[in-house]
Formats: sequence, structure tokens, C-alpha cells
Amino acid sequence: MAWPLLLLVAAPIVAGLGSLLAGRRRAVEVLQCGLAGAMLASAALVAERVIAAGSVSVEGFLQVDALSAWFDLIIGVVGSTGTLYAVGYMGEKMDRAHLSLRRYCQFFCLFDLYLAAMLLAVNLENIAIMWIAIEGSTLSAALLIGFDRSKEALEAGWKYIILSSVGIALALFGTILVYYSSEHVLGVSSEALRWSELYRVAQGLDPAVIKLAFIFALIGYGTKAGVAPMHTWLPDAHAEAPTPVSAMLSANMLTLAVYAILRFKAVTDKTVGPEFAGNLIIGLALLSIAVSSAFFLVQRDYKRLFAYSSIEHIGIALLGFGIGGLGVFAGAWHLMNHALAKSTAFYGAGLVFLRHNHKSLERVTGLLDQMPLAGTTILLAGVALAGLPPFGLFSSEVLIAAGAYTAKPEVAYAFLALLAFAFATLLYQILRMALGTPGEAGTALGRQCRIFTGAAVGINLVMLGAIGLQVPPGLETLLASIVTIFSAGMEAPR
Amino acid sequence: MSLLSQQFGSQMVNLGSALLLLTCFAIVAQRRLSACVDLFALQSVLLAATAALVAFLTGIHHIYIAAALTVVIKAVLIPRILKQVVERLNVTRELVMNVNVPASLLICGGLVMLAFFITQPIIPLGFLLTRDSLAIALAIILIGFFTMIARKKAVTQVIGFLVMENGLFLGATSAAYGMPLIVEIGVFFDVLVGALIIGIYTHRLQDAFDSVDTTKLTTLKE
Amino acid sequence: MLQAVMLIVAQTIVLLAVSPFIVGLIRKVKARLQCRRGASAFQPYADLAKLFRKQPVVSDTTSWIFTATPYILFASTLAAGLLVPVFVSQTPLNFAGNIIALVYLLALGTFFLILAGLDAGSAFGGMGSSREAIVASLTEPAMILSIFAIALTAGSTNLSTIVHKTALLEGIVTDPSPHLMAFAALFIVALAETGRVPVDNPATHLELTMIHEAMVLEYSGRYLALVEWAAGLKLLVFLTLIVNIFAPWGIATSLAPGALGLGLAVYLVKVSGLAVVIGVIESMFAKLRLFRVTDLLGVAFILALLALVFFYVLRG
Repeated sequence: MAWPLLLLVAAPIVAGLGSLLAGRRRAVEVLQCGLAGAMLASAALVAERVIAAGSVSVEGFLQVDALSAWFDLIIGVVGSTGTLYAVGYMGEKMDRAHLSLRRYCQFFCLFDLYLAAMLLAVNLENIAIMWIAIEGSTLSAALLIGFDRSKEALEAGWKYIILSSVGIALALFGTILVYYSSEHVLGVSSEALRWSELYRVAQGLDPAVIKLAFIFALIGYGTKAGVAPMHTWLPDAHAEAPTPVSAMLSANMLTLAVYAILRFKAVTDKTVGPEFAGNLIIGLALLSIAVSSAFFLVQRDYKRLFAYSSIEHIGIALLGFGIGGLGVFAGAWHLMNHALAKSTAFYGAGLVFLRHNHKSLERVTGLLDQMPLAGTTILLAGVALAGLPPFGLFSSEVLIAAGAYTAKPEVAYAFLALLAFAFATLLYQILRMALGTPGEAGTALGRQCRIFTGAAVGINLVMLGAIGLQVPPGLETLLASIVTIFSAGMEAPR
Repeated sequence: MSLLSQQFGSQMVNLGSALLLLTCFAIVAQRRLSACVDLFALQSVLLAATAALVAFLTGIHHIYIAAALTVVIKAVLIPRILKQVVERLNVTRELVMNVNVPASLLICGGLVMLAFFITQPIIPLGFLLTRDSLAIALAIILIGFFTMIARKKAVTQVIGFLVMENGLFLGATSAAYGMPLIVEIGVFFDVLVGALIIGIYTHRLQDAFDSVDTTKLTTLKE
Repeated sequence: MLQAVMLIVAQTIVLLAVSPFIVGLIRKVKARLQCRRGASAFQPYADLAKLFRKQPVVSDTTSWIFTATPYILFASTLAAGLLVPVFVSQTPLNFAGNIIALVYLLALGTFFLILAGLDAGSAFGGMGSSREAIVASLTEPAMILSIFAIALTAGSTNLSTIVHKTALLEGIVTDPSPHLMAFAALFIVALAETGRVPVDNPATHLELTMIHEAMVLEYSGRYLALVEWAAGLKLLVFLTLIVNIFAPWGIATSLAPGALGLGLAVYLVKVSGLAVVIGVIESMFAKLRLFRVTDLLGVAFILALLALVFFYVLRG
């Protein structure tokens, strides 16, 4: 019984093509709301089945284990609130005549295909076809980032597509190298590109080739994950894309790239032991956290502020995965909480942008008074992102620091020092935005916009709060199975 | 297959790969945009010929399909798209580069050595017929990467990206006797769509900035 | 011993006799491609004879270098020619040196020519000298590297051994790629070193563009004849080097009269063929601006470098 899985992958494609052909705003809205519901429900059902049965698969094509199910949940949940938010956000733009109906339909077509590519990528069992899906998400994202066609948007889109294309090409070379090694064991066939088969035979693969493949995959997918020093596209793209797209880039696409890195890491760990991949990842992760926290203070653009925060949090999650053991648990947990919190923060930022039509950090103050919804959203999301309790990011950061302390104390010291700095600078900027006296008046938002965006923000915040205090039992089972995927390599290192 | 013809076949595959690498250097040394596009088309034809040779020597038939797709997409369709883009531009050649031509050539020579150095430990694992091409494939990827950094015009950056893709295809053919067909087709589709999207972007850049000089993209910074 | 002396004499005669013909042949090809009848291919012989009869004029300001240079240039180029197998795979001066000596003999001539260009103190001479120095310093590394790539495949730096082994296909089962790249590199080097289009134009006396012609502007009479003859010799030496390294088949590998005769005939055909190719190239391409010459020579250097790298890599 794999129908929720098929629904999860097919729904965005159907809804996207439907929106392109619909030609009426009301029809597009209905389709997108249906899509949001379908994604939420099917992601939950897939996760439930994986928790119960261990895995769900469509023979020869899709294969969902605990790791895939975890990312299904993240992308499905945040994708569905993102769709709701996009209906409100783009609808408001259309009400203000910034957008023609044709472009409105095009936007949703691209947006849904983008979600579809990402959902497909995490469920595919063939690493090369996964690459194709990830490249598909890159291409659709490139069109979405440049959607406004302003000079800035074009510049950001160009940077994004050039850097991501380079990154993704390197990742393909890594994939080819894995095939180069595995076809000696598994024969010249698609078998040699399946995750499950690769895990099975990982210890028989050539260590030199796998090391090289991992380096290419890490640089390649790392570019897409916005890992420093390949992060330069990220702030531009996040700042210039339409806000629903910024939220999806940050919460979903970076997460997807981390997923790809993890798949390669699992094979590499089994072949050469966890030290090699772990150390590389820890190095890049610490660099990312350092670079991003350094840029918090100098930001003059609130969307860029959140973009740098994404670099930081992806770095933190990667640090957890690099440390291994408890860190894997905390890293996965961190990714989910970050996706929820960061998309919420962008939703809030988008509302501010709709009101004031500028992104200057200095000119935005007193949001709590002026826009209670956006102000509360940004304040809560900001507090979560800074790593304060009662949100899950607090517990995951503590767990990662603890894991780092037992494994590599010097990493833990560096991590805590960077974290303290990032905490102070981010919180300073957030509080400055939320408190104080309001500045300019701006344009008030329409009713429909407030309903849809409010729903999106509400769902996100409720989930964030619900999972903040403790890990729900079902998710804990999933996380435990994810940890075993990575711990298998630790028992028998070569 | 006898040992001699095996060796001869391997030499011919190496020769094909070496010619591919030479076209890379020609692209690096070439300033005229339309000539760069032509050189890329030539490189794609050479790539298809090398792939077809591998298919012939190994008897793996799906590589023929991939070679045919290479000709159709990379030697005909994409160069045609790029030519249209070039015709719309108000520049025909790249006069100022981030790195001048002789220095670029030297750096690319260094990249070739780097590629050989990186692949040295893993070469003996490959098939006797094609394993030396893996190093050349990586060299082509690196040179394509370098071209994207060293050139300023959007069109040449695109060509750099496509050269990288050619290197990847050579790598897949030589290292692994081609990926499974479904993968190859998917990759080709992505490359075609990617080239189209980049083409669209170039048009819009030309309209918005009245230039495709990417050094003019400087609004976004800290 | 006697055999060696005979060989020296024979090769000297062949080189001296053929070189003006090659120069004339290239001119003829270019003329025909421009739809002119052109002078006979044997015209350079008449030119040389006339120049030898004329009285030279030497400027008062020049030193001994000016008058000595034509002799040094001619002698060093001819000595270089004797190091290269021409129609028989043994070279007369086999004992005296290898390809490294060849490169330095040619460089010696260039060096003195550069000095002589400066010596007369004229503006054009100095300009030509400085340009020639640029070109020479850029071609030298490419030339040495490309010849080394070939030497590695043959396992010897001795030209005679290289040619002999290649002609007999002895122990050389290697990839064609290093050869191909070294060939392309050496061909570009040959064009640059001998002052042909697209680096220099031997037919022009336009002050702004000339390189070789500017250096020899002050020469006349028998000095000019020697310089011109040496230039022709240098061209022939390069052509010989290229045809005999990359396609030595047909060259005499023993000293039997029949083989020698065949070797000579094949040699003449090959060299003439390459001369025709050069003529076609000169008609097809325009001279590069001086700034762009570095690009071209950079390509040659990279090609030679790649030939070397490929030799090491493609053996596996």
C-alpha cells in the first residue's frame, strides 16, 4: 500500500499543471488549498507507515526509509504551509495589480513543480535519478528567484543558477565516481546506483574512489545547501526571490541538499569509517556558522538577515551529522525545527515587505504595535532561531554541543563561542524590529491575504510549539532509525 | 577481442579524449563569442564520436543512443540557441577578461595536471579500454569551471558550464561505460532545460542592464 | 671515418642546396593562391648569387659584431642542420650533440642577430631586436618541451635514435595523442622562429609590424646574402625536424645506395609538401598583432606541456 507516497509525489505535479491551465484565480486558489491539504496528509501518512513498517516502496522507483520519511515530513509540512502563504501573498500582489493573471498562474505552476522536484528527490532510490530531480528543483528555483524581473532579482537569479549549476555538476561527477566503484561489485546496471544496494555492498567498494566521490558530492550539494564558502548566492537569492519562494528555499531546498549529502555520507561511513566524512563536514559546518554570525551585525536588509541565519542553522545541523551518534539525532531534529521556524520568520518578513515595500532593516521598528500578526510571528520565530527555549532548536543545539563535547571538545568550545555570538547579534536585530515605536505607515494588507498568511503562520507556530518541549513518540522512532543508518558504519570501520 | 586491437581501441579513445581537451583549450584561448559557440559544437561532435567508439568497442548499445542525443542536443540545438543569444547582443567578442589568455592557458595546464594527480590513485580500477579518459574528463570539468570564473560575459560563462557537462558525459562514458539509459536521458533533459533557462536569463539581463557583462551585476552586496 | 666525412659533406650540400628552393616554393604557392604567376621557385638562387656579387655597405658606427654576425649565424644554423637526420637516420654530428645542442645552436644565431640589430643603432633595428627577443623567449620553452615529449616516447634525447626508432616502429607502441600535441606545438614554434605569418610577415617592410626584416635592415651585399641564406636554412631545419620526427617513414635507415637515393627523394617530397602547407597558411591567415602573439605561443607551450603530461598518464 504505497498510495500516500504516490499522492505525495504526484499531487504537486497535478496541481501545478492544473494551475497553469486553470486561467481563473478562484480555481488556482482551490487547487493550491487542496494541494496543501494533500501534501500535509500524505506526508503524515507516509511517515506513519514508515514508523509502523520500517519502509515504504514502489518497486524499482521510490523507496522510503526513515531518513526519506523524515525529509518527506519536513518538505511536506512546510511545503503545504508555504503553498497557503503563497496564495495569500501572491493574491495580495495581484490585488494591487503588480501581477497579471497569466503570471499568477505561471508562478503557481513553477512553485508546485519546484515542490514536486524536491519531494521526488528525497524519495527516489536511484542516486543518479535523485540528481536529476535535484537539478530539476534548481532550475525551477532559478525561474522563481528571478520571477520579479527587477534588476536585483535577475542578478540574484543569475548568481544562483551559475553557482548551483557548477555545484550540481560537481555532484554529478561524485555520483559517477560512486557508480565507477560500485559497478565492479554490482555489475553494469541500475542496481549499482540504488541506495539500498550501495549500503549493502559499501564495505566492498574502493575506499579511494568513495573518498573522492564524497568530496565532490560534499562540495556540489554543499553549494546548494549554502555551506560556506560556497554560500555567496544564498543571501542574494533569499532576499530577492518572492517571499514564499524565499521561505521554501531556506526551509526545503537547503534541507534537501543536506539530505543528499547525508546519503553520500552514509555510504562513505560504511566504506572508510565515519572519521573521514565527519571531519570534512565539521570543518565546513564551523566555517558556515562563523561566516554567517559575522554577517548578522552588518545587515541592512531583514530578508538577508534571515538568509544568513539559514547558513548558520544548516551549519549547526551539519555539525551534528558530522559528529555522529547523538549528533545525528540532534541534527535531524534541528533541521525540522529550523525549517518550521525559518519559514515562519520569512512569512513574517513577507508581510512586512507587503506593507512597507522595502527591505531596509533600519526603517522597520515597532512591528508589535503596527502589525500584531507579523510582529508576533517575527518575534517568536526570531526567539526560536536564536535558540531560546521552549523551542526545539534550543534542545537540538544543546544536544549537538553535548555530542561535540564528548567526541571532540575543541569543536564544542568553538561551536559554543560562535553560537553565543550569533545568539546575541540575531536577537539584537530581531528585538529592534519587533519593539520600539513604529516608523512609516505603509499600505495595509487585504483581508484575504491576512486569512491565508495567518493560517500558514498559525499552523507553523502551533507545530513548532507542539514539538518544542519534547520529541513526539512517533518522530522519536523515526529519529532512532535514522541514527542506526549512520551508526552501522561506526561498528565496523575499516 | 585480441590484445592488439584492444590496445589500439584504447589509444583511439584516448586520442578522442585528448582532442576534446584540446577544444577546451581552444575555447579558453578564443575571444570571439560566436567562435566559442562553434568550438563547443565541435567539442560535442568529438564527444559523440568518442562515445560511439566506446559503444562500438564494447558492444554496449545504449551508448549509441546517448551519442546520438549528444549530437542532437549539444551539437545542434544548444549551439543554435546560443547563436540566437549572441546575435542579439551588442558585443561580439570579449576584450577584457578577469584572467588574460596566456595566464588562463597556463592555469588550465595546471588544472590538467591537478586532474591527473587527483585521479591517479583510482585509475587502475577502471576498464582497460577507457580508464585513462577519466583523468581527461576531470580536467575538462575543471577547465569548464575555470572558464566560468575567468570570463565576464554571460554567454561564455554558459559555455563554460556546458563544457563541464561535456566533461561529465565523457567521465560517465569512460569511467562507467555510460550510466543507465534512463539516467542519461534525464541528464540530457536537464541540460537542455538548463541551457534554455540560462538563455532566457541572458535575454533578460541584456534587456535590464543593456549588457551581458556579469561584472555589472554589483547591486547586491553587503 | 671516411663514411662520416662523406655524410657530412653530402648533408651540407643537400641543406645548402634545398633551402633557397623551399623559400622560393613558399613564395610561389602564395603567388598562385593570390592568382599571380609569381617568380620561379628557383628565383632565390639568383637573388643570392646577385647579392654575393654586390659590394656590402657597412655603417661607421657599427662594431665587429655587425660584420661577424652573418658568419656566426650561417655557421651555427648549418651546424644545427647537421645535428638533424635529413635523408638518412644517422646524423653526421651524432657524437657532438643531441636535441639540446640543436636548440642552443639555433638560439646562438638568434642571439647574435639580435645584437647585430641593436649594433647599427637604427631605430628599426632596435625595435626588431626587442620583438625578436620576446618571440624567442616565448618559443624556446615550447620547443624544448615538445621535443622532450617526443624524446620520452623514444627513450632518447638523440635525434638520430628517435628518428631511427620511429622509422622502424621499434619499441614505440604509444598513444598518438602526445605526438599529435607535440606536433602542433612544434609547428607553431617553427612558424614563430622562422618569422612566418601569423607571427611575422617575411614579405613586408612595413615598419610597424616587421620583426626579422627590421633586424636585418642594415645589411647589404654578401652579408645580406648570408643572413637570408641562414634564414632559409633555419626554415629548412625546422621543416626537416618536423617531418623526420613525426613521419620519418621512407628515410634511409642504412647506408646502401638504393636506400639513400629513396631517402633523398622521399625527403624532398615531404619537405616540399610541408612548405606548400605553410604557403597555404600564410595566404589564409592575417598576421597577428604583437600583443596577440603571446596568446598563440601560449597555446604552443600548453600543447607541448600537455604532450608531456599525456605521455606519463596514458601509459597506464
